Amino acid sequence: MPDGFFTDATLCIGCKACEVACKEWNQVPADGFVWTGRSYDNTGGLGHSTYRHVQFVERIREGGPAWDFSSDVCKHCERAGCLEACPTGSIVRTEFGGVFVQPDICNGCGYCVVSCPFGVIDRRPDDGRAFKCTFCYDRQKAGLKPACATVCPTESIQYGDLDELRARADARRDALAARGVTDAVVYDPRDTSIGGTRAIFLVRGSCDDYGLPAAPELPSVRLRAGWRSAAGTSLLMAIILAAAFLV
Amino acid sequence: MTSLKAPVWTWEVPAYFFVGGVAGVAAAIACAATLAGGDRATIGAARAIALFGAAVSPLLLISDLGRPGRFLYMLRVFKLRSAMSVGAWTLIVFSGATTAALVYWIAAPAGPIVAAGLIVTDLVAATTGLVLATYTGVLLGATVLPVWAERHRTLPIDFGVSSLGAAASAVELVAGTTEAMVRVALAAAAIKTVFWLVSLARREPAVNRTISRATLLAGPLALGLRLAGLAWAPAHAAAALAALVGSGLSRFGWIEAGRADAASMRQ
Amino acid sequence: MPGLGTTFGRGGATTAQQDLVNADAILIIGSSMAEAHPVGFRWVVKAREERGTLVIHVDPRFSRTSALADLWVPLRAGSDIVFLGGLVHHVLSSGRVFREYVAAYTNATFLVREDYRGPEDLEGMFSGWQQDARGYDTATWQFEVDESGRPKRDQTLTHPRSVYQHLVRHFARYTPEMVERVCGVPRDRFLEIADRYTACSGPEKTATICYGVGLTQHSVGVQIIRTAAILQLLLGNVGRPGGGILALRGHASIQGSTDIPTLYDLLPGYLPMPAFGPGTETLGRYLARHRTPSGWWSHFDRYAISLLKAWYGDAATRENDFGFGWLPRISGDHSHQGYWLDMADGRMDGLFVMGQNPAVGGPNAALERRALANLRWLVVRDLVETETAVFWKDAPDSATEVFFFPAAGHAEKAGTFTNTQRLLQWHEKAVDPPGDAKSEAWFVVELGRRLKTIAAADRSPVNDGLRALTWDYALDPVSGEADASAILKEINGWHVATREQVVGFRDLVADGSTACGCWIYAGVHPTADRNRANERQASGRYGHGWGFAWPADRRILYNRASARPDGRPWSERKALVWWDETRQLWTGHDMPDFPVGTPPSYVPPVDATGAATIAGDTPFIMHADGLGWLWVPNGLKDGPLPAHYEPLESPVVNLLYAQQDNPVADRRSRPDNQWSRSPDPDFPYVLTTYRLTEHHTAGAMSRTLSRLAELQPALFCELSPALAATEGVANGDVVSLVTARGRIQARALVTARMTPLVIDGHVVHQIAMPWHFGSTGLVTGDVVNDLIAISEEPNVKIMESKALLCRLERVPAQAS
Ligand SMILES: Nc1nc2c(c(=O)[nH]1)N[C@H]1C(S)=C(S)[C@@H](COP(=O)(O)OP(=O)(O)OC[C@H]3O[C@@H](n4cnc5c(=O)[nH]c(N)nc54)[C@H](O)[C@@H]3O)O[C@H]1N2
Ligand SMILES: Nc1nc2c(c(=O)[nH]1)N[C@H]1C(S)=C(S)[C@@H](COP(=O)(O)OP(=O)(O)OC[C@H]3O[C@@H](n4cnc5c(=O)[nH]c(N)nc54)[C@H](O)[C@@H]3O)O[C@H]1N2
Ligand code: SF4
Ligand code: SF4
Ligand code: SF4
Ligand code: SF4
Ligand code: SF4
Ligand SMILES: [Mo]
Repeated sequence: MPDGFFTDATLCIGCKACEVACKEWNQVPADGFVWTGRSYDNTGGLGHSTYRHVQFVERIREGGPAWDFSSDVCKHCERAGCLEACPTGSIVRTEFGGVFVQPDICNGCGYCVVSCPFGVIDRRPDDGRAFKCTFCYDRQKAGLKPACATVCPTESIQYGDLDELRARADARRDALAARGVTDAVVYDPRDTSIGGTRAIFLVRGSCDDYGLPAAPELPSVRLRAGWRSAAGTSLLMAIILAAAFLV
Repeated sequence: MTSLKAPVWTWEVPAYFFVGGVAGVAAAIACAATLAGGDRATIGAARAIALFGAAVSPLLLISDLGRPGRFLYMLRVFKLRSAMSVGAWTLIVFSGATTAALVYWIAAPAGPIVAAGLIVTDLVAATTGLVLATYTGVLLGATVLPVWAERHRTLPIDFGVSSLGAAASAVELVAGTTEAMVRVALAAAAIKTVFWLVSLARREPAVNRTISRATLLAGPLALGLRLAGLAWAPAHAAAALAALVGSGLSRFGWIEAGRADAASMRQ
Repeated sequence: MPGLGTTFGRGGATTAQQDLVNADAILIIGSSMAEAHPVGFRWVVKAREERGTLVIHVDPRFSRTSALADLWVPLRAGSDIVFLGGLVHHVLSSGRVFREYVAAYTNATFLVREDYRGPEDLEGMFSGWQQDARGYDTATWQFEVDESGRPKRDQTLTHPRSVYQHLVRHFARYTPEMVERVCGVPRDRFLEIADRYTACSGPEKTATICYGVGLTQHSVGVQIIRTAAILQLLLGNVGRPGGGILALRGHASIQGSTDIPTLYDLLPGYLPMPAFGPGTETLGRYLARHRTPSGWWSHFDRYAISLLKAWYGDAATRENDFGFGWLPRISGDHSHQGYWLDMADGRMDGLFVMGQNPAVGGPNAALERRALANLRWLVVRDLVETETAVFWKDAPDSATEVFFFPAAGHAEKAGTFTNTQRLLQWHEKAVDPPGDAKSEAWFVVELGRRLKTIAAADRSPVNDGLRALTWDYALDPVSGEADASAILKEINGWHVATREQVVGFRDLVADGSTACGCWIYAGVHPTADRNRANERQASGRYGHGWGFAWPADRRILYNRASARPDGRPWSERKALVWWDETRQLWTGHDMPDFPVGTPPSYVPPVDATGAATIAGDTPFIMHADGLGWLWVPNGLKDGPLPAHYEPLESPVVNLLYAQQDNPVADRRSRPDNQWSRSPDPDFPYVLTTYRLTEHHTAGAMSRTLSRLAELQPALFCELSPALAATEGVANGDVVSLVTARGRIQARALVTARMTPLVIDGHVVHQIAMPWHFGSTGLVTGDVVNDLIAISEEPNVKIMESKALLCRLERVPAQAS
């Protein structure tokens, strides 16, 4: 059963309970007491010690202030850059469809870090291993909802069957449009090389405002060309060497 | 805007890119020279450099790992879709083949079986060595950072050619200038220079200063010195140094570029 | 609390958060509900998203609550009476009054005494002012009575001295133009809001008002709530589904600590604390004073005597007034403000601080920290070492002996929370407290035992009460802790002879044969083994079966008002409780807040007593007349109707009346508690304070936890880009904020969520600050309350912490 997240940012009240619950459940350490001055976001972004991150977008809408909140998370890509890149096989796909870093395998090579098109996974400096949202794999196995979805007071984070969530996201967008909220868009990048995400979003304005790239790209799509180039170069070098000694 | 993560790699990784590349090409030089019956000093130097690289590279890699004790987990799986996995296996095979080749080479007078073993291990070391010199470009190209990803085709060439010049220079510095090594170094410097001229002509902005300097060193400067060397031999040593430094610098420059790319995306 | 209490009869929220989904409009004013009550706010989100409920947020700053509202209305802090009064004016002048409801269920029909004069006639004052006493004699605020002593009424609402006509005249000044000039809300914007809000009321529709400390912490706090209450009564929005007033309370059980009060002037169950002086020397006089001839308080004697029986047990006898003489008496101003000033003046020896952090949370916190140094001893019981516990670090000369006791947190002990909607919920102990940490119950029981030992040895009369006190709590042999459920059983009450639990407050009697620790909680533990606070079988619209709401598990108070006088619902859509003709009782979705068997047509005979005095069509049963009080003749110190006065520090003169500020409020002005002028060129900006979701009050419970501390790691102030430009401040700069009391530093958060307002033609800037920072914990910052003054609103003596004057200074980079 393909599980997924639907984060309906139009219901988010920016309370950060999801961030706190995630850190508490997963015993994630603090990552700095830094006041950023960027609205109420002192978290900064997803990272090795932040698996949920609530974004605060301040803007002017219809002549007055508006404040949009959206809780970001690992996208659990259908084809995941991090998973493909991982040389140890530490990153696996679980039976719930999540992309999971096995902490007892990861050797901290850091390759996944530059292979995530969403800038999610990172290596924790003092620990040395890479961390990201686990999809609450331990809770899933126990039949529990992820911690973030459980605490969300407004059901901005919804967890369940992905197809059902997709239908719900579309319906919600349409309902909002009918109410005059015409700038809500569903983020569900299925027609891209990552083949879709298991975390879909409904946000107001442009997806870009929330760091959701219009066309996330799976880095391995460039492997073939890269290897071809490497092979050509190797051949060229072999020829040069042969020529150097034989001429 | 999506904020992408910066590479977490410390100096060991670019150092490994360089050392591994030099060692890889050195093994290929050793193989070619052995097959062509080149002079023993060159062969010995190339083998030594290859072996040295084969020994140092894993140390560099291990030292960069977040969990160095788990280096061998690299060999839990072999994944074609992970350039790092392919590279790790390549390095292992390369190390083995280089070591074996050296043993066979020292023992070569022992007979035909050993001679055949030498040829086979040399070929394996040379092949994996050339992969070692180029795969790092593939590895960077198959990531999400645009500065690398956009150059996924040229990075392997750049890294390979740069290793080629550096390896020839290293062998030359150890074993003394030979015609063959000069030819290799000349070719490498010439290719680099062509690339440099093309990018000048296209008015491509410099990626960063480290890379620009590295290119100047390994490209036009090395080429100029090599040409000068044809008239005045000591210039060859200077050219070799320029190629080596340029090659090493470029690896650091490329990692730096990745870091800067990620930083520019935050905010 | 008296704002709601005087108007409706009880001080608690009239409704429940779950009921917000039934509202057609929700007006959130003086509360950032999404931030301070995020879980309850889910019902607002649900209402808006699923039912299309209109959500309006009135607040000086655009907050996370505003972000989820349909309309955000910025107004000048401290001008709420004008805004709400403007709505009252709009209702009265545009024919939006729910006349049938108002005529039947409120005192709109009553005639006020002829000699009453109001702010219209007296430049903002009410008649009865006593200059010497700095207070009002309320004689002229009373109703005109007929021969039998009953107020005269005019059902047509046209008599010039009817309460209704008084309202019309009183609020005539509160025009949209006045709202624009005083609050800074443009006239057209105001009218749009007024139209949309009032359109959501009537037989078919209802609207709720949610408020928090943005309304209460003002020198006119109670009267602001009164204005809201009047508005809701006029619109017929009380006692009906989706209606009412939701007072959003504070700490998890702050409702509980007014029900069983930590307040100096109340006994459990809202029984007034006796004071020194005439009227309360004996039980008889005390009862005579507070017992009403009709309505629910006619049972006052039952509740008071049952309380005394709970406290003094067998020692409480009819002969000794059930021990009434042993109760302590109020001897002065023992409010927070009052006793801290006493302390500052060296008039106190010792202090227990249990679950409070006044060194950060108290007004004029610098003064309060200095006051602590004048004590002989201080006991602090807290989860962590608070600023209060370590005040001496900045007071090297202090001779105060400080005792710090580690306290068990709520997860480390069993007990109840009484939440904002009067719902008691039991919680079990989840983990053992760490180290020597103990519960409050342990500490108080232990303290009581030791004091009783001393009292047993020292038989002087002052110790009589202490000796008589029942203190027989069984202690756990291992932990030494008292059993919390035994305490809850005592609160519920029992029959003295049999020790059988009472089933509800109807069982209580005045002859000393019942004991009850808090009459409104009676029924929470109706049998020895049934703890209703611990029940979790929610059913129906209001989740009955989950916890226990006082009184008698009624979720929506005054719900008799959801039906017409004849007992039928006003409309099918808004049916809640109705009279069932066939079964001859009140029934519906909630427990009726009414005598269940009293038919709508019931008219009490002249000689009726107790519950029998409640007429069948009077929903506000706590009031002797059973009506909602638009006009409050008794119980308020600053007027029978709300009048707008400017905050004690204001950037403008009062545009409504010559009287600038609340004449009965007390500035407690003194050298260490100084005030600016109003207006004052040295302090040009309005300063207001608020809460962040990420922190809790004085911060000891959030600044010490990395999970929360990292989310808001520094003190900041919010200001508009316009003000930032005026002051040459950039986002992130360190700035100083200065008031007549003090100076602190904070980072500047420049945001379009703050906006300058045009007040009477002049631009007024407002600065808003969260106040959770102090000197201990993982993240620290200056104490905002060093800026706030001690002051007293007349009715509840709350300080004015939501509207002051300040100035802003840039701090040069190297100095910060
Ligand atoms: N996360 C969190 N939750 C809490 C608390 C906490 O500290 N943190 N504290 C708890 C406690 S003790 C309490 S009492 C409640 C309080 O909860 P709230 O009443 O919501 O508390 P505040 O944020 O202090 O003030 C509410 C709003 O009033 C606005 N305001 C300020 N001045 C005025 C004014 O003059 N008029 C109007 N209309 N609005 C004004 C402020 O901008 C703010 O948005 O929250 C409780 N819940
Ligand atoms: N400027 C400004 N000042 C304000 C306000 C404002 O809005 N603006 N709001 C006011 C309001 S509404 C309030 S309620 C006050 C709050 O002010 P305080 O009550 O002084 O502050 P808290 O931080 O809530 O203090 C509660 C303490 O109890 C401790 N504690 C928690 N649980 C337990 C327990 O079980 N046992 C014991 N012994 N201790 C425990 C906590 O660690 C904490 O230190 O501040 C007031 N001050
Ligand atoms: S979002 Fe990044 S970290 Fe998450 S699954 Fe996709 S590639 Fe991996
Ligand atoms: S850091 Fe760990 S998870 Fe990431 S690619 Fe390397 S081994 Fe895999
Ligand atoms: S699914 Fe679990 S790990 Fe992932 S963000 Fe939610 S709480 Fe954190
Ligand atoms: S818990 Fe829900 S409402 Fe709160 S910030 Fe997270 S997503 Fe938003
Ligand atoms: S902290 Fe507790 S009481 Fe406050 S909103 Fe959250 S759940 Fe409710
Ligand atoms: Mo509070």
